[in-house]
Amino acid sequence: MGSWGFIGLAYGVGSVALLLYLILLKRRLRDARDELAALEGDGGRGSR
Amino acid sequence: MSAQAEGMVVGLLRRTWAMTWKDVTVELRARERINAMLFFAALVLFIFNFALGPDREKLREVAPGLLWLAFLFTGMLGLGRSFQAERENECFEELLLTPGDRESIFFGKLAGNVLFMVTAEALILPLFGILYNLDIWAYLPSLALVAFLGTLGFSTLGTLLAAMTAHLRAREVMLPLLLFPLTVPVILGSVRATEVILAGGRLGEVGHWLKLLAGFDLIFLVVSPLVFEFVLEE
Amino acid sequence: MGERTVAASVPWASEGGRAGARPSLAAKALGAAAVVVLATGLYLGLAVVPPDAVQGEVQRIMYLHVPSIVTAYLAFFVVFCSSILYLWKRDLRFDAVAVSSAEIGVVLTGITLATGSIWGKSTWGVWWTWDARLTLTAILFTIYVGYLMLRAFAEEPQAGARYGAVLAIIGFLDIPLNHLAVQWWRTLHQPSSILRPGGPSVASVMLVPLAINFAGLILLYTYLLLERIRLERIRHRAAETRLKRGRRG
Repeated sequence: MGSWGFIGLAYGVGSVALLLYLILLKRRLRDARDELAALEGDGGRGSR
Repeated sequence: MSAQAEGMVVGLLRRTWAMTWKDVTVELRARERINAMLFFAALVLFIFNFALGPDREKLREVAPGLLWLAFLFTGMLGLGRSFQAERENECFEELLLTPGDRESIFFGKLAGNVLFMVTAEALILPLFGILYNLDIWAYLPSLALVAFLGTLGFSTLGTLLAAMTAHLRAREVMLPLLLFPLTVPVILGSVRATEVILAGGRLGEVGHWLKLLAGFDLIFLVVSPLVFEFVLEE
Repeated sequence: MGERTVAASVPWASEGGRAGARPSLAAKALGAAAVVVLATGLYLGLAVVPPDAVQGEVQRIMYLHVPSIVTAYLAFFVVFCSSILYLWKRDLRFDAVAVSSAEIGVVLTGITLATGSIWGKSTWGVWWTWDARLTLTAILFTIYVGYLMLRAFAEEPQAGARYGAVLAIIGFLDIPLNHLAVQWWRTLHQPSSILRPGGPSVASVMLVPLAINFAGLILLYTYLLLERIRLERIRHRAAETRLKRGRRG
């Protein structure tokens, strides 16, 4: 693997890691928001 | 020292002693902990020998490391059980009701753990000397100093983390996982110093390691009891 | 005995109708700024700045590796401070900052490890050596992964917050001790090029992409932190709603 191969690998791994974290974070946010909406929408129907 | 401060210190010492004495008497009755620790240590020493092969010289080179591996794994075993009685019998609440500071509970538990670990080490060391043909007796005072400093540091963080992990799922895994990275300075310092001593070196040569060990001990002996109350509260 | 009652109601979770539903303006701005700055740093580091005289092109990996670990240390310092504040004030907002900063710190430390290893492979031919820097980074990674696991395995979130805070304080105090111990133990790594008493020994032109990427990563860290805190806020609110629901039923 040439020098630029290693450089590409390093920056690639870094970018993918950060991007993956961001994507997963967005997904967790969406799930949490949905869960909250479901809980709050359940309003006057009493406990489950 | 003013009379009030003196009274506080005496009270702390008395409560600490009460805690330690409780753990020691419980152990003396059943001998569970110390037996397990000794058996495990002997096992470790034997297995290392088989794993590393018969080369005398190679074994000599790694001997200090092996000794401390035996000490640390054995210590870990003991630490894992230091809050076991409280956890099993749901005595944590009882601990909290005991009059007195959380600090004395911590120091009491710590003293007990150090006592058990040092006892185990005192028995492991001669066995180690025999199995690996090393003259430990000539260097006993220096070895004892290093062992004590290292044991104290390991046990201080170990007691704190044992209390924390007592309630957790996967506690047998969590305690080593949390404790070992944090005690790397203790491990490195103890092994390096032991290495120099067993090779006939003087304590002066490992002054920097001893200072590191002492510094580690001091820092965490101060901080751990302070944060211990946050671990115990319910 | 009961002088430490834990705050069951978290004001920041329940205030405002849809508070926390969308990223704040500040967060969006930070995110955009991060992208711009990092793109600039990337361009400068990879295309503009000349290669190192000794190491050649692969030295360019340092423009990611070094800012990454420095930002990670910053993140863990934030965890340290907010943990102390949490234990002192018992405001769950501080705990939210702590866990969020720790998560991002772990990601950054992982990137540091990976880029360090790749750099090592390109320079020394091996993916791993037990030299001081790599070893210290690995220990750091393990400590804070342990922090996240401790919180996850705790019997309930309040306990997890408490235990985590204690561990974060102990862990951060431990870092300088680890540094000393591991450095005395061995140093194959080049001596620190930047943090030397005499000042940076890196060619001044190379400091530019380093500084820019560092700024970019700080911006990115702040953006991710705000978003992650927002997640905590929503979760706290859900927990509070469930609690109220339980009381009513």
